[in-house]
Amino acid sequence: MSGDQNAPGGFHHAQDKLTFLLSLVPYLIQQTQVSVSDAARHFGVSQQTIREAVLLIAVSGVPGSDSNYQHGDLFDIDWDAFDENEIIITQLVAIDDSPRFSAREASALIAGLQYLQSLPENVDSAAYSSLAAKLARGASEAPSQVIVSPAATNDSFARIGDALSRGMQLEFDYRDSKGQSEHRRVDPLRLDSDDDDWYLRAWDHSRESVRTFRLDRLDGLNVTDLPIEHRPSDVALSDSLFDTSGEHTTVVLEFRPEALGLLGEFVPEGTRVTRVGELSRASVRVAHFHGLTRLVAGLAGVARVVDPPEARRAVRQWAVDARAAYPAAPGEHPTIANA
Amino acid sequence: MKSVPESSPSIPSSDVSASAVAVEERLFSLVLALVSTEIGLTKAEILGAVQGYRQKFVPGGDNSSLERQFERDKDDIRELGVPLETLESPTDPGNNQALRYRISKGDYDLPADISFTPEETTLLNLAAMVWREGSLSGESRRALLKLRSLGTEGSQQLIGYAPRIRTRDAAFGPLTDALDKAVLVRFSYLKPGELNARERLVAPAAVVQHQGRWYLQAFDQKADAPRTFLLSRIVGPVVVTRTPSPQSASATAGDDALAELDEIWRTHVAHVSVRPGTDAESRLGKRRGSIRNPDGTIALHYTDLAVLADDLAAFGPEVVVISPAGLVTAVRDRLAAIIASHPDDMDAV
Repeated sequence: MSGDQNAPGGFHHAQDKLTFLLSLVPYLIQQTQVSVSDAARHFGVSQQTIREAVLLIAVSGVPGSDSNYQHGDLFDIDWDAFDENEIIITQLVAIDDSPRFSAREASALIAGLQYLQSLPENVDSAAYSSLAAKLARGASEAPSQVIVSPAATNDSFARIGDALSRGMQLEFDYRDSKGQSEHRRVDPLRLDSDDDDWYLRAWDHSRESVRTFRLDRLDGLNVTDLPIEHRPSDVALSDSLFDTSGEHTTVVLEFRPEALGLLGEFVPEGTRVTRVGELSRASVRVAHFHGLTRLVAGLAGVARVVDPPEARRAVRQWAVDARAAYPAAPGEHPTIANA
Repeated sequence: MKSVPESSPSIPSSDVSASAVAVEERLFSLVLALVSTEIGLTKAEILGAVQGYRQKFVPGGDNSSLERQFERDKDDIRELGVPLETLESPTDPGNNQALRYRISKGDYDLPADISFTPEETTLLNLAAMVWREGSLSGESRRALLKLRSLGTEGSQQLIGYAPRIRTRDAAFGPLTDALDKAVLVRFSYLKPGELNARERLVAPAAVVQHQGRWYLQAFDQKADAPRTFLLSRIVGPVVVTRTPSPQSASATAGDDALAELDEIWRTHVAHVSVRPGTDAESRLGKRRGSIRNPDGTIALHYTDLAVLADDLAAFGPEVVVISPAGLVTAVRDRLAAIIASHPDDMDAV
């Protein structure tokens, strides 16, 4: 199993642990009786996390008039049932309802909904707005103004969504960053997004492995009548779109410290970033220079390639070739061609 | 009083008692105690009686570190949306020691008529997933726990999607924080075309994402006018001040900012030509709202000329800008800067 919430010990932050306790109590009351395993599944946590929380709730309560905790002022559970992995709360203290959302929690969900508005037909816009209104009403303060425009989707997005839901293979022409186009036949597994960009994660039949495809590099999309051979549940997908750990070419990048985020997946989490004067440096691994060249060419004045010389020259040549299409600016000396 | 061993250098005595009661048990006990009191509890009552504090409380002694602990706990609890109130003593106003603390159950409970269908629960699960990285990941995780407390299971639709919004800009966290607190922020902002960043003092009104870029809508205190800032142009740290914003943000500030950005996008069009069979041809042709002309040129809508110039410079020789003239200059300047920062005739510096 993966995911933070299933890690041994459950939640890592005290605020998360408190929220979990405040959420578990009303759930247990509403269920009247529920098994440890069902509660664990419902909250997406381990059974151990549920057990520890129930044991803590069972000894918690309010201090009585003499500032001591008396039995009648504490929660209690049916201990015999708990031995049989069943949870029954027999005495309540202070709280019995779900807590309100905080302003930030509500605004995170509302902004997330706005982003999802462009997703396929399953969801209509009236449902979105009534949900957003409900969240705002369920928050302790007015949700903060964090607003997101709907994700960009297009025609191929809808057809991939259709193939995903019906479990059909897809075929398309894919043009990679080198400009080479190739016909692919894949089992679609998942549609991932990264802000305004969408990616198809799929089992590539010719490569015999999982590949990530940018939707805007895909042409001639066709939903075949062949059922998929690899189901999404059979294939482990990491949360990061690109795995660079197996690549062998190392490139040294230099950038303004605040621009680290702009380098995205090229600088995976955990990469060592060193400081050279006012700038940062990081060594990253790449399969080839094509993607990196594009990235750096889009970050003029913000980032540059330091090493190796071949990579530096690749970026330079990319820009030199591009500039050749424009007349020299007034006052600018024409470039003297190297012999 | 129990005899306490002479303080040993390896095990401070406070750590021993702190480990006895877990943080979440102390916070949970504090919430329970404050919900169940009508008139509120004073700080002394809380520290002396509530689980997790009472173990460390010294009657008549110095409890200053415990008091600081209580202050931090109050902040942590309020941050979760729990309405922890402070009440002045009617007979002794202004006396901090006489303040009473309580949580009104009516303000704590989710309104009884709020529930979510399985379909809505699925959508909200997906909406929370959008923030699984970065500044709002904690909030979305906790929002989901509260959602699950209602007991509704999600339905199985929309399973093949993993949408994600990134909050890569370091400024996102402090700006949304200032937005919640309604206070002024100070930061250095580098306008495109200017050599040096200028310091700004602004009242944040909304943080919006438009086509993958984060913007701050704010009231600039010096210019005395509303301004829109691109988060990626904020240089260095954002300082969240304690000065309350003199301009209160309207409830529609975010939607208004987004509508304005949409209008700019709709009315600004650039024309470029692309080399056939390249990445630029496939990707620029598929951008939102772009039009492919029969002569091979592409019309592109844009919101910010400098941002588009960065995007186009990335495509190198695969694209040539035709118009507007400002965009031609901006792309050419970027290419010159890249050539200058990537010398081919010297070793790495």
